[in-house]
Amino acid sequence: MSIFIDQSTTVCVQGITGKEGRFWTEHMIELGTRVVCGVTPGKEGQTVADRPVYNSVKKAVENHDIEASMLFVPPRFTKDAVFEALEAGIKKIVTIGDGIPLHDMVAIRQKAKEHDAMVVGGNTSGVISPKLAMMGSFPHWIERVYKKGNIGVMTRSGSLTNEVTSMVVEAGYGVSTLIGVGGDPVPGTRFAEFLDMYEQDEETKAVVIIGELGGTMEEEVAEAIKEKRFTKPLVAFLGGRTAPKGQKMGHAGAIISGGKGSVEDKIEALTEAGALVAERPRLVGELLEELNVPKT
Amino acid sequence: MKLFEYQAKEVFKETAIPVPNSVLIESEKELEQAIETVKTPCVVKSQVLSGGRGKAGLVVFTKTKEDAQAETKRLFSLEQNIKQILIEEAVNIKQEIYVSITVDPYLAKALLIVSKEGGVDIETLASESPEKIVKEPIDMREGLMPYQASRVAYDLGFSKEISKQLKKIFLKLYHIFVKYDAELVEINPLFITQDDTVVAGDGKLMIDDNSMFRQQRFEMQQSDYKSEAEFDAAQEGIPFIEFDGDIGLMCAGAGLTTTVYDLIHYEGGTIANYLEFGGPNYKKAVESMEICLKVPSKVILVVTFGTIARADVMATGIVDAIKRLQPDRPIVTCIRGTNEEEAVKILEDAGLEPIFDTEEAVRKAVKIAQGGSK
Repeated sequence: MSIFIDQSTTVCVQGITGKEGRFWTEHMIELGTRVVCGVTPGKEGQTVADRPVYNSVKKAVENHDIEASMLFVPPRFTKDAVFEALEAGIKKIVTIGDGIPLHDMVAIRQKAKEHDAMVVGGNTSGVISPKLAMMGSFPHWIERVYKKGNIGVMTRSGSLTNEVTSMVVEAGYGVSTLIGVGGDPVPGTRFAEFLDMYEQDEETKAVVIIGELGGTMEEEVAEAIKEKRFTKPLVAFLGGRTAPKGQKMGHAGAIISGGKGSVEDKIEALTEAGALVAERPRLVGELLEELNVPKT
Repeated sequence: MKLFEYQAKEVFKETAIPVPNSVLIESEKELEQAIETVKTPCVVKSQVLSGGRGKAGLVVFTKTKEDAQAETKRLFSLEQNIKQILIEEAVNIKQEIYVSITVDPYLAKALLIVSKEGGVDIETLASESPEKIVKEPIDMREGLMPYQASRVAYDLGFSKEISKQLKKIFLKLYHIFVKYDAELVEINPLFITQDDTVVAGDGKLMIDDNSMFRQQRFEMQQSDYKSEAEFDAAQEGIPFIEFDGDIGLMCAGAGLTTTVYDLIHYEGGTIANYLEFGGPNYKKAVESMEICLKVPSKVILVVTFGTIARADVMATGIVDAIKRLQPDRPIVTCIRGTNEEEAVKILEDAGLEPIFDTEEAVRKAVKIAQGGSK
């Protein structure tokens, strides 16, 4: 099993006729993703990877049963595209756009909440359940990162995720579902909001979060563990332990976090809740072993 | 993009938020005329983007013209190369308060933050005495409602006279927040004068970098940057921070770069610069290395693990950069990710020694920086 997406999830691709959209749609299908159609205004009648293209999401849902929408849309048009998908009733949306205006992200998250939907991203590679399906831009064929297994991974980062996940794989584990919540200050959906799904998923035996200085997402995870909303083992790796105070480094965190947000604060909150925090990427696998997380 | 105080105050003034009289000068010669306008006593305020200007002695209250002249001379001759000074009328202060508007990422709303204690760092206040801060969430579809602005002022215990002025200022500040796609707009301190008028003592306006395509009013000038490397990086849209250590970082991905930064410290090394050329910048290896070479360092460490940012493309870029720029210092490369097999070949053909493990690459760079073998 997996969360958010598997081989049965029906996916529509917004921006399917663009260079990036076309390239990654083919890879999504190659992995096993059930892409049913695409949307690009003005391109109705064309096909991409044998899938029909429609002028609007509304038209697409009239013709197909669509559970999720994948956006390959430039950052400045992302708000519009997300709203279109939400209005059409789609509840799972992934947007990889890097550079979405801050105020647009506020509007996106607010609208998604109202529609009881999940928007993943922006500034992310997306969501992947190795060997099953993905929404986003992952080189799923790289075995030393995207190996199937029973560890749930959530991350704010791209390259760092490959670094950490490769260490998890090196230790003999694999990934159930990897979710990139994205590196922007206002992600559409936050770490703690996925914990419930990982908790319910039988296959997932433990969760790894890859966090960073800034914001309060890691503290929210600690809160969920403390309140027993999440009870499986959890290991965190956090970048920016030695970052100078007041320096905006890495992905921008929240601007004013009310005295929270430093890596020390996050370590304290997570440790107190019973999670383990790895000092280096290499140690994440060891800590999973320490928690007796089974490898198969 | 962070604006200078004088720019933020320009915006305030246009929006009819009261600010003290002031004149911006660029040389000592202009002081005389500035003082004729603002009179003494006055405040001599260096226009730099770093915080804590008061503590650093970059903002000084002066009683006489002679004092103002001495301070202006001192500030213009400082090593940090101050380009502009704001000469501002001194205000009779009764009370200093804090006000800002920013984004609450969890609530997906804007947030009006007000405190009766101004002049202090809000992060310090938030952690030490959170009860002194009032936070009012704002639904950005409706905007800040007048009743909310007024309630915040009265809840803090201000008189009717002051509350009416504060309400107007909060509403105008919100207008600026929206109009300029702000990450943060802040007045700290906001003065209440002896005769009960409210005036902005400082001004901070940070425009969201992702919104610059629709915010064209303000552009950074080369003179606004601390160094040529910083300016070049900003022009290319490459995240860059200069430090004074030994190892130049040229990594891809904000999270990975930050982690390499940590690992170098764990190994006892020091950082010359943070440079991140991942995401949309992964084809800018030449530009990135050119920037790194402008910073004094003993070695450049390249670490990547990209997916869209393909390893072969980055390796080709690095090799190209080395050929063109002929770097005067060793380069340590650890390039992984999509098409990494090809990347290895590209690097080896160019005589480089590809490393596959981040920690190993970090140790090698630290060793070189500390005078070890190449």
